[in-house]
Amino acid sequence: MIGRTGETGPTEPEPVGPSPDKAKAAAPVRRPLRGSPRLAQYKRTWYFLRRNTLAMVGLGVLVLFLVIALYAAWFQPGLPWGQLNDFCSTNQGNGAPNDCVPGQAQICTYAQGTTAPHAGCYQTPSAYPSVIPPTLTFAHGVGPLPLGSLTVLPTSTLSYSIYQGLLRGIDWTLIISVSIVAGGALAGLFLGAISGYFGGVVDEVIMRIVDIFLSIPQVLFVIIVVAVFSSTSHSIAGLDATATDVLLVIVGFMAVWWPFYTRLVRGQVLVTREQKYVEAARASGASRGRIISRHIVPNSVYPVFIQMSLDVGTVPLFLAALAFLGFKFFPTQYFPEVGVIAALSVTNLQGFLDGCQVGICYIPWWQILIPGLTLFAYAISVNFLADGLRDALDPRLRR
Amino acid sequence: MWLYIVRRLILLVPIIIGVMTITFVLVSALPVTDRLTASFGDPSPKAPWIYEPTLAPGTGPCPGPPNNKSCPNPVYNRDIAILGLNQPIFVQWGIYIYHSFTFNWGTVSNHSSAGLLLKPIQGLPVIQVLGWYLPYTIELAILSLLIILAVSIPLGNLAAVNRNRPVDQAARIMSFSGFALPGFLLASLVLAGALIGIGSSVGYVVHTPWCPSGELLYQELTGSWPSTSCFGGIGGAVGYPSWLVNGIYTTPTGFPTIDALIHGYYWLAFDTIVRMLLPALVIAFGTIAILLRFVRNSMLEVMNLDFVRTARSEGIPEKTVVSRHAGRNSLNVTITVMGLLFAFFIGGFPIIEDVFHLNGVGLILAYSVQNTAGPIDYALVFGTTLLFTFIVVFANIIVDVLYAYLDPRVRLG
Amino acid sequence: MAVSARSPASAPSDGPGPATADAPLPEETAQPSVTPGEQEPILAIKDLRTYFYTYDGVVKALDGVSFKVRRGETTGLVGETGCGKSVTAFSVTRLVPDPPGRIMGGRIEFDGANLLWQIDREAKFKPVKNTPRVKVRRYFRRIKAGNDRITAVRGRRISMIFQEPSTAMNPVFTIANQLGEVLLLHRGVEIIDEMLNASPNAPSAGAALDALIAAATQRNREAIATAARQLGEAVHSMSFGTEAAQLARAPTTDPERLRGAIVRAMRRLHVSSSQKTYLRFRRQELVLRRELSAVYLNEMRTEKPDHPGTRRVRNAILRLRASHFYYRLWGIRGRINRPMQTELFWRTVRLLEGVSIANPSQVARGYPHELSGGMLQRVMIAMALSSDPDVLIADEPTTALDVTIQAQILDLMQDLRHRVGSAVLLITHDLAVIAEVADRVCVMYAGQIVEQGRVSDVFRQPMHPYTQGLLSSIPRFDQPDKQLSSIPGSVPNLITPPSGCRFHPRCPYAMPVCKGERPPTTLEGPDHSVACYLYHGPVAPE
Repeated sequence: MIGRTGETGPTEPEPVGPSPDKAKAAAPVRRPLRGSPRLAQYKRTWYFLRRNTLAMVGLGVLVLFLVIALYAAWFQPGLPWGQLNDFCSTNQGNGAPNDCVPGQAQICTYAQGTTAPHAGCYQTPSAYPSVIPPTLTFAHGVGPLPLGSLTVLPTSTLSYSIYQGLLRGIDWTLIISVSIVAGGALAGLFLGAISGYFGGVVDEVIMRIVDIFLSIPQVLFVIIVVAVFSSTSHSIAGLDATATDVLLVIVGFMAVWWPFYTRLVRGQVLVTREQKYVEAARASGASRGRIISRHIVPNSVYPVFIQMSLDVGTVPLFLAALAFLGFKFFPTQYFPEVGVIAALSVTNLQGFLDGCQVGICYIPWWQILIPGLTLFAYAISVNFLADGLRDALDPRLRR
Repeated sequence: MWLYIVRRLILLVPIIIGVMTITFVLVSALPVTDRLTASFGDPSPKAPWIYEPTLAPGTGPCPGPPNNKSCPNPVYNRDIAILGLNQPIFVQWGIYIYHSFTFNWGTVSNHSSAGLLLKPIQGLPVIQVLGWYLPYTIELAILSLLIILAVSIPLGNLAAVNRNRPVDQAARIMSFSGFALPGFLLASLVLAGALIGIGSSVGYVVHTPWCPSGELLYQELTGSWPSTSCFGGIGGAVGYPSWLVNGIYTTPTGFPTIDALIHGYYWLAFDTIVRMLLPALVIAFGTIAILLRFVRNSMLEVMNLDFVRTARSEGIPEKTVVSRHAGRNSLNVTITVMGLLFAFFIGGFPIIEDVFHLNGVGLILAYSVQNTAGPIDYALVFGTTLLFTFIVVFANIIVDVLYAYLDPRVRLG
Repeated sequence: MAVSARSPASAPSDGPGPATADAPLPEETAQPSVTPGEQEPILAIKDLRTYFYTYDGVVKALDGVSFKVRRGETTGLVGETGCGKSVTAFSVTRLVPDPPGRIMGGRIEFDGANLLWQIDREAKFKPVKNTPRVKVRRYFRRIKAGNDRITAVRGRRISMIFQEPSTAMNPVFTIANQLGEVLLLHRGVEIIDEMLNASPNAPSAGAALDALIAAATQRNREAIATAARQLGEAVHSMSFGTEAAQLARAPTTDPERLRGAIVRAMRRLHVSSSQKTYLRFRRQELVLRRELSAVYLNEMRTEKPDHPGTRRVRNAILRLRASHFYYRLWGIRGRINRPMQTELFWRTVRLLEGVSIANPSQVARGYPHELSGGMLQRVMIAMALSSDPDVLIADEPTTALDVTIQAQILDLMQDLRHRVGSAVLLITHDLAVIAEVADRVCVMYAGQIVEQGRVSDVFRQPMHPYTQGLLSSIPRFDQPDKQLSSIPGSVPNLITPPSGCRFHPRCPYAMPVCKGERPPTTLEGPDHSVACYLYHGPVAPE
């Protein structure tokens, strides 16, 4: 149970009412365990998780996403850094007009089956001559044809393949959200443990700071952090624009996320530090750092796990919201990330709705639903899993 | 109890100063030109040199001997002095806090996407613009809050009492889907669905009582009142009523619904609320999803407490036990969580107001961030953030006061 | 065993104020203290089994508990912590937390009704292979119906007080609010009748008022109390008597002002016609609820479902409420309720006076967290006894209080019980309390009753080895050098309890037969039975 590692053997009888505490009071010996009590704890947690159908569905979907991400990474091995720019096309080689503005970054395309005008041009499939798949590095890479294509602009001649975008996108989504959550959790764990364990002035100061951060709406805070530092971050040597932008986004989100974890960890530490084994450790002369790292932190970490799993699902939603607002925090608005693709498609929807007034409603529903559903599926499966985990770990709700 | 309220209000100040400090830290990371532009507005085309530290010979007034190769820019120096940019960081902080408290939040820059708004706002003080648009957001927030509380509290109670039964499963599904659906997706889908659904049955030009000559359905579903597409009616060919200043700001209170009621335009008041209903539902859906879980969990906890058992043992009918005894106690936790969620709740406003074109502060933020015509309008962004934070802090104060009212144990502390 | 009448306790300085000698409970019936024991037992528990279905297995908390509670007597239920005493109490009124607990079977006969009727239909069980777990399938409708049925007796006929008084009351409502709610529920008809028949213009009221003012100027507490009571009787409103007494005790001695205040207070006795309609509506609703309780009780008595009866009364209640829905509207609700709230408030004050709480009107206006444990337990006692129940179940009422308060509470309970005449089932682990207060005692071990009988018999001649061990482990003043003895071993695991007699692992007289079947309960003396293979008396009648 949470906070109870290291306690085996008979518990002393407590004054009880008619509750399952009776089982504890009257149970001097548990079933024989193989391995430590912690292992039995994990097995018990897994048992409860398994009984929860929704959690299993969520886990399945997440595993599927992971497989897709790995497949896409295999497809294009190497880290997903690279030069990504807004582009327009020239030299399409199939008679399509040139829509480039002088000074704009240009991409050269040519139809499949024809010869490349010069090196560095992208091949587009002959059936869909204006489809340029988003790639990790915008290097040459075309795969099987899309489930549908996302029109970048209704009048543009360029299209963006949803299928390819989602393939790449799951990669980016996972990388970004996991790093944000991990960073936030680490910062929160550190600060929360300090704040909870030492108490007093340190606690007050940290909690006030946390309150202040929590008063600022998250979306807005990320906007201003990224906006302010985007120009300066480009001057960091050694990394190209994509990397710095992604790193800036990650850092910006971490700045928003750490207060939640701090508060959570602090609450848990306040409970944990009253436990008997902490007192015993202190009495036996362990240093404070050792106590914190070996006793307090491992026992306070369960709600953090749950919150982390929840946040891995929430972060892409925030990214999508930011992208929808039109905020350019990635170098290109066509950045292949699931949330960004969904936001892009929904932004285009607004244009189609105006045309609805005239009579015939032409809405390419697949453009909106497929990225949206992917985002939804990702978020909801993470939610199912996190919820199942929470139910499995909560001693009070246990049946 | 009043002592408690006063103490909470006093604690308000350090938090606001803390928030301002954070924004100050971020603002001071901006380049000097951006800071000057944010505070004092863009240089006009007639005097594009005002934010240069030194003037090129021949441009603008140049005090000192003629042909002076480098002459300092008086406007630049004056502005730097006002902002304190040549002073130590602590003094800058003090000046910034002072400006923030006196609502001296800067000027809207010329390259905001303000042309898309009802009234062009370039060059106006930020606080004035925000003051025009704030009442719409507040009205939307109140409506959403009413919907949220009216749905999540009863539903959460029911879900807790009938644990693991159909009601609980349905509440869970609603909670999950609301949490996992991004706001903009739901908003756009709802809008598209409403447009197509209503349009295919009623037609795309609707004749409502408040706009008998007809208006486009899209404009009825989106956009704040007054509608710009009402043919021959308010906002259309006839022009705005006299108490609708600037096309946005209404007199006397600034709140469009209240002002419409005051001036007797009851249909317009109704129209305002109808326009806000769909966005309020979308916002409510997202927040209900989170709140519902907390209501349910707190209710589950409360139902295990001793006094519920005592009430049952007294023969009080179960319905009364649940609604009166348990419900009142779980309300405390619910209100507290709502206070914590307020930041998230408010954070969803920019997106919803963007999709539904409501004239709120969120719309300002959305447009100031889109920077189609140039760099981001920092003044508006920071001003909006500060305003939103004030709203959140104020809401938290209200939550604390409400908590003290609901729970007598807190009133002493 | 003679039951001694006790005078109201005179309290130490920090406790409650002096009990007003004749501040009776408003619910004082004409029933005197009953001669104990001769009639049918009011509560007979037969073979009660309650199990808890947990992840680790099935905890057999109660496995065949049988005992009787006789009218007018105090029966003690004593045992170690964790032996199932509280579970027994909760099983009587079905307060066992339903997941994970289930009352499996048995009969609880209360006043001829089987309170556990149809309990076996409420759930089905299926053991899971290779694990000690059991899957429980609960039928919620049936459980709900069972709970509805038991509300016929909860609070009305069987009241409970609990161990932890500081958490037993709702922290967000005032004491008057909570006590008033219970009073209205159980005594509402009488209260409303009194309200409707109040006659503030009665001829004798004037004389009584004069007497009260005279007593107030003399500041004679007894005279004030008597005069206030007479005034109350004159205007046919006992709660007004309390209010007048409260006003008269105020420090100011100006008679004219006092008269003015009392006359002003008397104004609330004038019931307007709209008020009368509302009161009649509430009365009708309460009468219907009582009828519903009677129907439920009858169902449990005859053990036959009476769907038409319950449906009829429930529909009548619904129709009544629907036709008067406007009383619940927000603006009207507060105003129309006010006279009844005042009436209930003063009745609450009267109740609190009855349990010797000083400054009762201030306490009534306060919140539970403002009171100490002892005072809260008094309030709980007042609440429990306000409806004149037949049985009062006290689940370790004094365990959470310190010893001086404990004595006061026990004295209070004795006193009130004699006045009200209810039987008491006192659950405790403290043998001293049992010796002091109880008439009969049942000794419980690990979910089974091992010995029961009159307190004097059991304490002087304990038969069961467990009882002997308990009694011998009490340290004695007169033998300071004697080593403290204790019963070796510890309480067994109730998931896998010992076979046969559950005490046999710790029993110094254990025999091979003890491991086999459970020993039958045998009658070893007049009204003294024991469940042990050491004794061969006739099997005790159930």
